[in-house]
Amino acid sequence: MIGEAVQDALKEAAYAVDWVSDGLAALSATDTQRYDLILLDLGLPGKDGQDVLRAIRAHGNPVPLVILTARDALGDRLRGLDGGADDYLVKPFEMDELLARMRAVLRRKEGNAAPVLGNGVLTLDPETREAAVGDCSPVRLTGREFALLRALLARPGAILSRADLEDRIYGWGEEVESNAIEYIIHALRKKLGNDVIENVRGLGWMVSKSG
Amino acid sequence: MDGLKKRLSTSVQYRLSFALTATIIAVAVVAGVFSFLSAFDEAHDLQDDMLHQIASLVDQQRLTWAPGADAPRTEDADDDTTITIQVLGARGNFAGKMHGRGALPLPDALEDGLHTLTIADESYRVLVKTIATGTRIAVSQETDARDEMAYNSAWRTLLPFLILVPVLLLIISQLVRKMFRPITDLSRQIDARAESSLEPIHDGHLPTEVRPFVLAINRLLVRVAESVNVQRRFVADAAHELRSPLTALSLQAQRMEHLEMSSAARERLRILQKGIERGRNLLNQLLSLSKVQAATEMPGAPVLVRGIYRAVLEDLMPMAKAKRIDLGVVEGPDTTVCATELDLFTLVKNLVDNAIRYTPDGGRVDLATHVAGAIVVVQVSDTGPGIPPQERERVFDPFYRVLGNDALGSGLGLAIVKTIAHRMGAQVTLDNTDPSTQTGLTVTVCIPTSHSS
Repeated sequence: MIGEAVQDALKEAAYAVDWVSDGLAALSATDTQRYDLILLDLGLPGKDGQDVLRAIRAHGNPVPLVILTARDALGDRLRGLDGGADDYLVKPFEMDELLARMRAVLRRKEGNAAPVLGNGVLTLDPETREAAVGDCSPVRLTGREFALLRALLARPGAILSRADLEDRIYGWGEEVESNAIEYIIHALRKKLGNDVIENVRGLGWMVSKSG
Repeated sequence: MDGLKKRLSTSVQYRLSFALTATIIAVAVVAGVFSFLSAFDEAHDLQDDMLHQIASLVDQQRLTWAPGADAPRTEDADDDTTITIQVLGARGNFAGKMHGRGALPLPDALEDGLHTLTIADESYRVLVKTIATGTRIAVSQETDARDEMAYNSAWRTLLPFLILVPVLLLIISQLVRKMFRPITDLSRQIDARAESSLEPIHDGHLPTEVRPFVLAINRLLVRVAESVNVQRRFVADAAHELRSPLTALSLQAQRMEHLEMSSAARERLRILQKGIERGRNLLNQLLSLSKVQAATEMPGAPVLVRGIYRAVLEDLMPMAKAKRIDLGVVEGPDTTVCATELDLFTLVKNLVDNAIRYTPDGGRVDLATHVAGAIVVVQVSDTGPGIPPQERERVFDPFYRVLGNDALGSGLGLAIVKTIAHRMGAQVTLDNTDPSTQTGLTVTVCIPTSHSS
């Protein structure tokens, strides 16, 4: 059931998909074909998913591999990652997240792990220090603005306190002016819009996960 | 009386005490009666012997007196023990001799030997003997006096019994209680156990008689623990297994969104997705509950409460934003709590999740923390409808929901909170945020800083 949905969704996302539904078939497929990426459900009939993973890696096949599983205990996750998986996704998952993780794994395999930062709405290009909201034209940021936004965008959804942000922006021994963080955030909001950076009362600031 | 009967039939301790007590009393009574009677007889025999001895003293002329004179009286200080010696057959002398407690009017025809006679309403024990000179003498003594002496000596033989019996009873009751102490201690220990603690009973200091019983209970505990584990695994497995079809369902629903469809169909799809979302939430909560129920690990390092608040808010900010709820942390000291990070996170997350869920759009949810002595207080308040006082006990039961609430909760949140709080030794109390209007819910979790259980 999942296989069908995933296959269709991947096709819509312009991937070419081969779908096998038991472990032995999966092994023979990976032996005969070269794939860019494997999605492996651990609850396979015929052969245990972990065994399939081990067999693939034992053959020296370095293909990027993302595990899909219903098990989310830490032990299961560690076994999967230590067994040679590149990422791990627990059911139930959203298709968008699966696609994003597939892209991330592919990117890492291509040695390009530091792309443009973003949360779907806001993007930040580390090369040019330009930020853009949606389809609006990019805005150039000052050094401190860029450092602050980069800290927040490193993990969208994470809440950073004033102390966290000061650590990221100022080096050792640099004088930290009071209200500096508020001032920078105010400037960023002026350039990019009020909703870009959110206040979290009592804790700090965040850039939301999905725009 | 019924209570005593029941205790006798069920309590070994009572039965043992009762049987021993009854036996001791019965033996004491029988032995007492027997020794009383034999001492009584013995005293009588002794006194008869005394009469014989006096008679033979007279016979041997050691006691002399002129026949015809007043009979001599051997007198003790006690008048009752008076013994009278007189000569029989001198009828003519009788009248003259009858004065005071002198010679008794004994019939002449008395044969030699011991007799018990009643003279002038008094009973006498009389020994008649023919002495060497051919004279017949009578040595007599009042029976009352004899009996009194016999009673006295008989009672004296009883005295040890009278002292011994209560002492024995006391010792036995103490002894039995002491022997049963390990068992009563053990039962108190078992009573005080948490319902989830199924580790075997320690049988080191128990009497060997009870040990097989304890071993049997331990074996039973092992089996119970196994079956509880199987149950828990089943819940976890079932929830895990349900994840796959649910994922398939939600993936299909997501794909459907991209299709062209009428607005009516789109509305139905929205409802369908809401249902799927609810099922997914329920599954996750079910897994969360089975996880916290199965967890046994004890907290190691102290956890920063504010760090946990941050992690929870990072997770739940989108949900709060969707309902335009002002979610935040109230200024307060940053405190640490001895708990596993996952436990405290799950606890706070469930409280905040509930608060957001049951607070109407545009409301406010506050997280606060303060320290009161050896207790860290973690508090989540909302501006929702609150929980009526009569429901505040029941809301901790799994799947219990307050009536008239259409929010999509799993009904497991507070059950999870309670399980975790119980393990941390924490107290959870529910109050109104605004007591004047009886609205809003404030959940207060009091966590002891030094955990001991």
